[in-house]
Amino acid sequence: MTDENPPRAASDLAGGHTVRRYDEELAKLRAIILEMGEHVVGQARSAVMALVDRDDSQAYRVLDREPQIDYLSLDADEEVFRVIARRQPTAVDLRIVLALSKIASDAERAGDKAKIVAEQALELKKLSGDSDYLRDDLRAALGRLEDAACSMFERSIRAVVNFDVALSLAIFEDEPRLSDASTEVRHLLGEDDQKGLSQRQVVCLLTCAHGLVRIGNHASNIAEQVIYVALGQDVRYRNREILIETLHHQGY
Amino acid sequence: MSTVVEVMEKTTGAMSSAELAGEQHSRATVGDFTVADARMACREVEVWYGPKKAINGVSLDIGKNEVLSMIGPSGCGKSTFLRCLNRMNDTIDGCRVTGSILLDGQDIYDKSLDPVPLRARVGMVFQKPNPFPKSIYENVAYGPKIHGLTNNRAELDALVESSLRKAGLWDEVKDRLDQAGTGLSGGQQQRLCIARTIAVSPEVILMDEPCSALDPIATAIVEELIDELRSQYSIAIVTHSMQQAARVSQRTAYFHLGDLIEIGETNDIFTSPKHRLTEDYITGRFG
Repeated sequence: MTDENPPRAASDLAGGHTVRRYDEELAKLRAIILEMGEHVVGQARSAVMALVDRDDSQAYRVLDREPQIDYLSLDADEEVFRVIARRQPTAVDLRIVLALSKIASDAERAGDKAKIVAEQALELKKLSGDSDYLRDDLRAALGRLEDAACSMFERSIRAVVNFDVALSLAIFEDEPRLSDASTEVRHLLGEDDQKGLSQRQVVCLLTCAHGLVRIGNHASNIAEQVIYVALGQDVRYRNREILIETLHHQGY
Repeated sequence: MSTVVEVMEKTTGAMSSAELAGEQHSRATVGDFTVADARMACREVEVWYGPKKAINGVSLDIGKNEVLSMIGPSGCGKSTFLRCLNRMNDTIDGCRVTGSILLDGQDIYDKSLDPVPLRARVGMVFQKPNPFPKSIYENVAYGPKIHGLTNNRAELDALVESSLRKAGLWDEVKDRLDQAGTGLSGGQQQRLCIARTIAVSPEVILMDEPCSALDPIATAIVEELIDELRSQYSIAIVTHSMQQAARVSQRTAYFHLGDLIEIGETNDIFTSPKHRLTEDYITGRFG
């Protein structure tokens, strides 16, 4: 875009309609997504805490709160239908509505993964009794995986607030950290000296690690949608290294 | 880029055209305004109403078998531009057109070209249905008669029927061809006007908000008709309905204050327009 054709500020992408009610409807949809995102991050952190601290009550709280995310997902769908039916969105508005709909789906599925981690925490507690099933190095590796996944998801939701391309780019750049942490956990669980764990315990821990990785993947999906809204480019399935380089080249 | 052809040599007052042009530079159009198989090619078209410039150096092609929609806020010049395409602006006192507009390579503003047969080749359908106060049959037969397109009554009957069929009206009126065209519903009247346009074998059909006076059902029928007509004609449509532009056209041109701001594939314009003004307009942020 040139001086005669200035880009709209990212923070202003959803606003400025002549019909102000339209702005309010888009803001409401986005607020639902942001609330979902906050819940997901909270749920994921609580679920991992339940896992590493062997805290039943924390795990049950995650299970109890999980339906909130589902209900918000239904609210988001309803708002998407309403906006499409009433406003027939085009251009950036259409991209926002489509993207927020997909982001709601990603957030809902990420919430499911947190629930799975909590369920596995309860299962491990049942299998292990009072004995500590996590060696220090495994505990630390799981902590790194949780940190990578949750920090990616947290930032992806922050990126939605202002459709922030730079923040989305940072999430893409963080993907190797998630991958490395996941690999580390899997290696530790595969080592001979983890023999103290039963096969069922190992499966439970692998399921938890997989759930955390998936939360990070959902964060990446959300970041892709943010870029779709802000730049009008569908970057799904693109080579990540080339995408990162291209975005840097564009000044992000 | 082409020779400037002045259609109406009128005095524009104390200020010269050059001085006026110097005050208002045309903006660069975003998007490729050319097509591979152009039926009409417009280059650097300017339209002046006395000293006031209404169209500011617009260049675009209208392809064969395509519907080009022209959108923009009121006063942006889209209807003025449309009316240049069959020299309807000739009838406005003080209006002059510069630049070049070619129909199949022929300059339609060439001084030797008669605008009457041109308007048969480039037909027009208006905002408000305007059937002649004659029978349905005569409404369609009138053009072919004055242009001498048929040799006898049988040929004329066949042409009337084929035109009404193409306009999707035949089955509704075949038993009452002698009744007044003005007695039809609004949607039927508009399709009668389209049949009247088709009857003189145009190459291009211009439509100036053809559905703005119609209800949604009649609008849907006319839109379906536009899609069918595309296989035989080039169509340029001015519309205030963004949804209509999105539904019926393959390419869309956005006008703003006499400039062609952006032109491109309709899918692209309505999902990822490149110009901020286009986006503001189609998303309802304009003004």
